[in-house]
Amino acid sequence: MDRILETFILALRGSGVRVSVAESIDAMHVTDLIGYGDRGTLKNALSATLAKTLAEKEIFHLTFDRYFSTDVPFDHTYDIEDGMKGEPDEEIPLVAQMIMSGNIAGLAVAMSQAALSVDITGIQFFTQKGLYVRRLMQQMGLDELNDYIRSLRAEGDDESARIANMLEQGREDLTVRARNFVERQYDLYAGSATEGMMESYLKNARLTNIEQHHYQQIRVIIRKMVKNLRDLHTRRKKGAKRGQLDFKKTMRSNIAYQGLPFDTRWKMKKIDRPKVVVICDVSRSVSTIVRFFLLILYSLNELIEKIDTFIFCSNLAEVSSIFDQYDLEEAIVRLQTGTGLDIWMGRTDYGQSLRDFWEGWSGNLTKKTTVIILGDARSNFGETEVGILKKMQERSKRLIWLNPETPSLWGSGDSEMKRYLPFCHVARECNTLNHLEKVMHALL
Amino acid sequence: MNNFHDEKFSSIEAVQQEFKQAGYICSRQIATTVYLAYHLCKPILVEGPAGVGKTELAKTASLFLGVPLIRLQCYEGLDESKALYEWKYGKQLLYTQLLRDKLDQIIKGENGLDSSIQKLHQYDDIFFSMDFLEPRPLLKAIQEKRGAVLLIDEVDKSDDEFEAFLLEVLSDFQVSIPEVGTIAAVSKPFVFLTSNNTRELSEALKRRCLHLYIPFPDQKLEREIVRIKVPDISERLETQLVAFIHEVRKLDIKKVPSISESIDWARVLMILHVDKLNVDLIHDTLNTFVKFEEDVKMVNEQLRGLAEKALNVT
Repeated sequence: MDRILETFILALRGSGVRVSVAESIDAMHVTDLIGYGDRGTLKNALSATLAKTLAEKEIFHLTFDRYFSTDVPFDHTYDIEDGMKGEPDEEIPLVAQMIMSGNIAGLAVAMSQAALSVDITGIQFFTQKGLYVRRLMQQMGLDELNDYIRSLRAEGDDESARIANMLEQGREDLTVRARNFVERQYDLYAGSATEGMMESYLKNARLTNIEQHHYQQIRVIIRKMVKNLRDLHTRRKKGAKRGQLDFKKTMRSNIAYQGLPFDTRWKMKKIDRPKVVVICDVSRSVSTIVRFFLLILYSLNELIEKIDTFIFCSNLAEVSSIFDQYDLEEAIVRLQTGTGLDIWMGRTDYGQSLRDFWEGWSGNLTKKTTVIILGDARSNFGETEVGILKKMQERSKRLIWLNPETPSLWGSGDSEMKRYLPFCHVARECNTLNHLEKVMHALL
Repeated sequence: MNNFHDEKFSSIEAVQQEFKQAGYICSRQIATTVYLAYHLCKPILVEGPAGVGKTELAKTASLFLGVPLIRLQCYEGLDESKALYEWKYGKQLLYTQLLRDKLDQIIKGENGLDSSIQKLHQYDDIFFSMDFLEPRPLLKAIQEKRGAVLLIDEVDKSDDEFEAFLLEVLSDFQVSIPEVGTIAAVSKPFVFLTSNNTRELSEALKRRCLHLYIPFPDQKLEREIVRIKVPDISERLETQLVAFIHEVRKLDIKKVPSISESIDWARVLMILHVDKLNVDLIHDTLNTFVKFEEDVKMVNEQLRGLAEKALNVT
């Protein structure tokens, strides 16, 4: 495959467009067919083969413009020596000759050739920029140039000094040019590596420690996660449950028996979506995690039959209606501030909250419901009402307790986790995006 | 589409020109994609908002190539027996009944079950041959001798399973029928898939297609489209109409008017013998291109402002 296309595809991948091998082969056929002559046509054609969603098309356009705007001529057959005035001199280094004769195009080609040999597409981090600039310059013959300047200086006459000055000036220019070149290459190729690193960092970092300005990125990660989960689990929704007789299928499979229905076929349908009751502690220590948990849970609402959400601090309140009224993001903000809700944001009281739940909404629990309690079980030495939790466990299909603290801290100080533990089907530590993802898998 | 139409696909410009003659104004992007699809023998996946001419593109292509258009409308629950082939059960039953005597004769000379069955085996595949096969759109498209344009409309409405099943057809242009074997295309059909993006299509499907996104056209292009569809329209009316539609598209309404709706509106105005728009006229004919109660209300509220902007462009 030709080098220009190959590096362009690398650049595209770097900016987050997924290009498969099959698609790159298509792209190659395309360039064979229409050539590099017409920029507009090339752009249209490559966009049809490489970018396959609207979002990808936008990235494609940006990357295309950036990539094909570099001042390096595409034409690699360009002979550096064509740009020379007069016979090349064996004594003088090639770079020096080009600087002296002002052969900008030649320098640009030399730079892109040097870039190929130092494999600049491997650049990943901004700290490598200096390194690559130096390698690039070295490849272009910086050492020879320096030696030559030194020897000119040694000669000592005016003419040599003038040339030496000119070459030094040229060297400065060239360095600036090389730095710009590397910057651009960095923009083109490095995106994916840093993005990938950031993503894995954010997935494993404790949500409570993540700073506000990363929230945007987290949202993007959550969106990806939700899509994955959805893809994985939509398929499973279908399945078997005996229902109506499927007349057509029965006829077809019984032709062998002269249409006598020996082998009956049934319309299969199965609704296997969990019903979820979520009870969240919204005191300060847990609220960040609650926020992301609800964000994911509600994004998956088409896979879940029904979500009842309760929040508690000193007492408990039902908040499902908030999610019907406002859109997801706003609803979650409302929950955190507690505006307009019948909730008292004082000391966290697990005993009171469990009592409230049992008195008000115990009817919500059936053998189909999964109860998820999200909280650190730190009840400020109040009552625990373990009995109620036991009854909740008996009534529901599953009871999952998600605790943002690590298991070693469970039971220390005012944590009542150890006492709740026997009545949870599953109790998990949950404080990173990865944990949340696992919980969702288990739930669906 | 092998080689039959090479001269028609000599260049991108030629495609654009020919399509225009067939009554379809296409942007350079569209023409390029169609050109590539022909030369690479790849299906085109067309996406874009409703009513920008996705289906129309396929129809025009069939007109342009002079081959039949075979259309497969996708919907939830579409399966192989409706898309690919089905056995003609009635015919099979009828024939076995009619041929009962014949069958008796065949096995008459044999004694014993074993030898009778042996004998019957010689005629085994008669009832599962092409004569008893009812071809559905996909098979039909593959069997067309001189090629065809196959339009798989709204592929996003079909189930995941069907999408997976399409992969064989789209990449190799062949279908497998267990009783008969694999049938490969005599002449590869030109395939268009359209999608309204109600769900993400799978990577595998996308990988096999060229992807074309048709957005709403800019004013210039849309004016051209209106002119070619409604030739009698005056230039002033056409400019005003397109400008107004573009203003409406900027609003946050439920269903933005599409190109086909601009064309409808232009036709309505032609019937009313209008050569110039005004606020009252827009108010009266609004329902030709705004189709929801709330939308009508919203446009009506802002009608004056919108009309002012649009009508002054001339």
